Amino acid sequence: MSSPSSTRRPDRLLILSVFIVASCGLAYELVAGALASYLLGDSVLQFSSIIGCYLFAMGVGSHLSKYVKDEDLLARFIDIELLVGLIGGASATVLFVIFAWMAGPFRSVLYALVFALGVLVGMEIPLVMRLLNERKTGFSEIVSRVLTFDYLGALFVSLLFPIVLAPHLGLARTAFLFGIANAGVALLAIRVFRSEIRQRRALTLRASIVLVLLVGGFAASERITQWSERGVFGDEIVHAETTPYQRLVVTKWKDDLRLYINGNLQFSSRDEHRYHEALVHPVLAALPGVKRVLVLGGGDGLAIREILKYPSVEEVTLVDLDPAMTRLFSSAAPLTALNRNAFKDHRVHIINADAGQWLETAGTAFDAIIIDLPDPNSYGLGKLYSEPFYRLVREHLAENGLMVVQSTSPYFAPHAYWCVVTTLEAAGFKTYPYHAYVPSFGEWGFVIADRTGRYQPPTHYALPMRWLDGTATRDMFRFPADMQRIEVEPNRLNSQALVRYFEEDWHRVIR
Amino acid sequence: MKRRDFLKLAAATSLAGCSERLPWQAPPVSVHMPGMELGHRLRDRLPTPNPTRQRSVDVAILGSGVAGLFAGWRLAQAGYRDFCLLGGPEPLGNTAGSVLGGVPCPTGAHYLPLPSMESTHVREMLAEFGVLHGDPFALRPEYAERALVHAPDERLFINAAWQDGIVPQHGLGADDQAQIRRFFGEIARLREARGQDGRRAFVIPLALSSADPVFTALATETFVAWLNRQGFTAPPLRWYADYCCRDDYGAGIEQVSAWAGLHYFASRGGHAANAEDGAVLTWPDGLQPLAQGLRSRIGAARWIDGMALQVSEHKQGVDVLCFDAARNEAFTLHAKRVIVAMPLHVAAHAVANLADFGFDKARDLPASASWLVSNFLLNRFPQEADPHQPLAWDNVVYGGEGLGWVVATHQWIRQARPAQTVFTAYRALDHLPPQALRAWLVNAPPAELLALASSDLHAAYGNGFARQVQQVAITVRGHAMATPAPGFLARPGIAALCAADRRILFAHADLSGLSVFEEAAWWGEKAAGKILT
Repeated sequence: MSSPSSTRRPDRLLILSVFIVASCGLAYELVAGALASYLLGDSVLQFSSIIGCYLFAMGVGSHLSKYVKDEDLLARFIDIELLVGLIGGASATVLFVIFAWMAGPFRSVLYALVFALGVLVGMEIPLVMRLLNERKTGFSEIVSRVLTFDYLGALFVSLLFPIVLAPHLGLARTAFLFGIANAGVALLAIRVFRSEIRQRRALTLRASIVLVLLVGGFAASERITQWSERGVFGDEIVHAETTPYQRLVVTKWKDDLRLYINGNLQFSSRDEHRYHEALVHPVLAALPGVKRVLVLGGGDGLAIREILKYPSVEEVTLVDLDPAMTRLFSSAAPLTALNRNAFKDHRVHIINADAGQWLETAGTAFDAIIIDLPDPNSYGLGKLYSEPFYRLVREHLAENGLMVVQSTSPYFAPHAYWCVVTTLEAAGFKTYPYHAYVPSFGEWGFVIADRTGRYQPPTHYALPMRWLDGTATRDMFRFPADMQRIEVEPNRLNSQALVRYFEEDWHRVIR
Repeated sequence: MKRRDFLKLAAATSLAGCSERLPWQAPPVSVHMPGMELGHRLRDRLPTPNPTRQRSVDVAILGSGVAGLFAGWRLAQAGYRDFCLLGGPEPLGNTAGSVLGGVPCPTGAHYLPLPSMESTHVREMLAEFGVLHGDPFALRPEYAERALVHAPDERLFINAAWQDGIVPQHGLGADDQAQIRRFFGEIARLREARGQDGRRAFVIPLALSSADPVFTALATETFVAWLNRQGFTAPPLRWYADYCCRDDYGAGIEQVSAWAGLHYFASRGGHAANAEDGAVLTWPDGLQPLAQGLRSRIGAARWIDGMALQVSEHKQGVDVLCFDAARNEAFTLHAKRVIVAMPLHVAAHAVANLADFGFDKARDLPASASWLVSNFLLNRFPQEADPHQPLAWDNVVYGGEGLGWVVATHQWIRQARPAQTVFTAYRALDHLPPQALRAWLVNAPPAELLALASSDLHAAYGNGFARQVQQVAITVRGHAMATPAPGFLARPGIAALCAADRRILFAHADLSGLSVFEEAAWWGEKAAGKILT
């Protein structure tokens, strides 16, 4: 006969396992919530939906636990520990890899993992209670002790996670660590209850494999995370954000900062000066005394950095759709260093609006208009490269003003490039196509347009440049034999030819 | 998340909690029945106040639909000064539009096909409005790109997938496809066919079509009888023909005459220099900008609110007893001549001596179809099943009970999709006989109207669609348009009204027997012409 006060060693182990199991269960929940908040934003939503899903799944698990037969209790408990350890331990790394490689299934996998973990963790405590019950411990004693250690474990992790684990180990290694703890409980149980377990060898082998995998994962998680980030961006991600309009990712490798929008490279700090010098100076250097400049797109502030070099400029208006973009480039230190705090200059006015809508209501005329919009890869963006749009822009251009349009690559997407030129001409502009070599983009195209037909490319620049000079400018406006103009349709709203050209052209280039 | 952002979020969610509905609650529905109450007041001869004022004018145009507006525009354009236009119980008629949640949207007709060579009157109007550039009578004029429907223009949900264009193609068998090809071959032939009188068989405006009995005999049988006779039995083809008839006439191939059905396909041959054949002109709020363009050229000073209760012709002129419901006042217009630009079923009650013109109500009054034009204000664009078949301007469900929906923000020039949009769903009501249907419509429960209005949207997007709907505004048009049923071309009373050149003139699409912009404008043009000569 055993009294509650003289608990035997196996029972003590079961109570200890409750503490560890409870710690692990909460840890996976916290890891999933933190990871989702970090990657998807909106932490209130992520945490509450993950906690809700997890608790519900635990209920499902408790319900399912009744289907475990009495004679299998120990073996199933050990199996569940191993499974929880494996899934929970690898969860953060798996999620990170999925997020980096494919945007689509992330949420589905996240909730599937959380649900699976919840079901398994939900089965643990009822099984332990039944194990203790079989060992003739009094019912009130079981409930009191199990639940005490369950809640103690939760407290332990909830304090440890934010103070020690997340900041020092990182999410991926924290998850693996708790996975190892789960596998440890399993191994210990096999040892302690060796007399009661039938397939001891098979279980020991399974547990050892899981433990080796988890330890390996713990050791390699740093490398896996880096690899997954590089899988997409090649470099370490220093900022990732999903806004209502797009996904912004900033990467860093040594001194090279890169911005990706929806996975497309927008600039590399190594050579963006070539792009932005080519975009801005052929226009502004040809407009002595230029005062008012409009930039459509260009929320990175790099074009504005170049514009602000002209002392005559009194006012720069930037219209960019995404407030998250202009906020990022006016607050994050390495990025503001890159655009030299362009958005803090008193001459700059930032307007977060749709360029199409803003032009319909704005009433002012500008000396120079710089259109630095994303490539025309959707019907929405295609409308901002259309003849009616350029006519709308024309109404905002001073009589002797100049405008320039970034217009994809004349080498890789020649139909798309010359379509922009043709459309500007159909809208009543005289055009001056040119191109520049930007190493990270390849040959890139721009078009200057005016009403008068009097534009002459600058032959020299008074301002100091990193790359652009008179000779380079002369070469930019010359199109060699492999980039000659081709006949294409203008981009009409009712045909959206440009979107089609753009897709077909790049489809031929990208494997 | 910064502390301040969190507080803002908390404040926003607690505020939103008041206005947001629970997931199982249907969106709020408002039902608008333009002209119904006043029209029935006229029909039932309800007592009205005694006239308190009067006004004398050379010409009074009674009604502000396309026919009345067009007549007024022509008079103003010709420098005719002394005329006025009575708005009527249903201002702007079937070209009205509205604004829902800040998004302009149609509550009536939503597009104009590229005008045919013969629609010179419509071409002149479009040229004046800056929609048509250059020579208005050119074979291929250039049109303002903002008004041409933007790509992608239309798509069809058929066999569980979206396809480009509305003519069924996806998943069709060889015989179905062969019949569809043969049908369009036949249409191409009829488009060029001419009668003994040298005129083309099917022309918009309808009055310029050939009177050769070879063709007009087609107006005595139903369209479905003609399809049967020609061996056009393929269900997808018959659905397409039926859809087109319901979309334009509010009645299907079983009801409309073969002549009207073929007229739909064979009369529209407009071309554009900068768009493909079959393109249409459209605006976010449907055709309302055209109506407003006409109205502003007529001038606000000539517009009078109110409706005609009684039009009495006498030796010196015409007296019109008018009622302004908003002010609850009656007044009298003394006009030398009057253009009755109202539907014939209204004119039958308002014009005292209609029988003198040879018009017999029992014989000549056409049946009319009822429509729902339903605007769904959406919090976000619904998820599309196939990214390669994105939302088009016009979206139709094969075999659907409705006529699909158009997207009010489609013609906006925007980099990103707007936060909110309006889908305008069209439905011609034919689930009850016309009389019973209209009796039901008078007191129809909004929830039942909503179910009728949203059938196609639910078929395409599933029941989850309702969750993104913030608000629904349903416009019920009980007598939306005349049905061009067999016999519609041979109504002596209507021919008499067309020819009338007395103190009272008539102008309305009902004179053509089918309700399209070009026809209404044509009769406005003719009436103005009679006054100006």
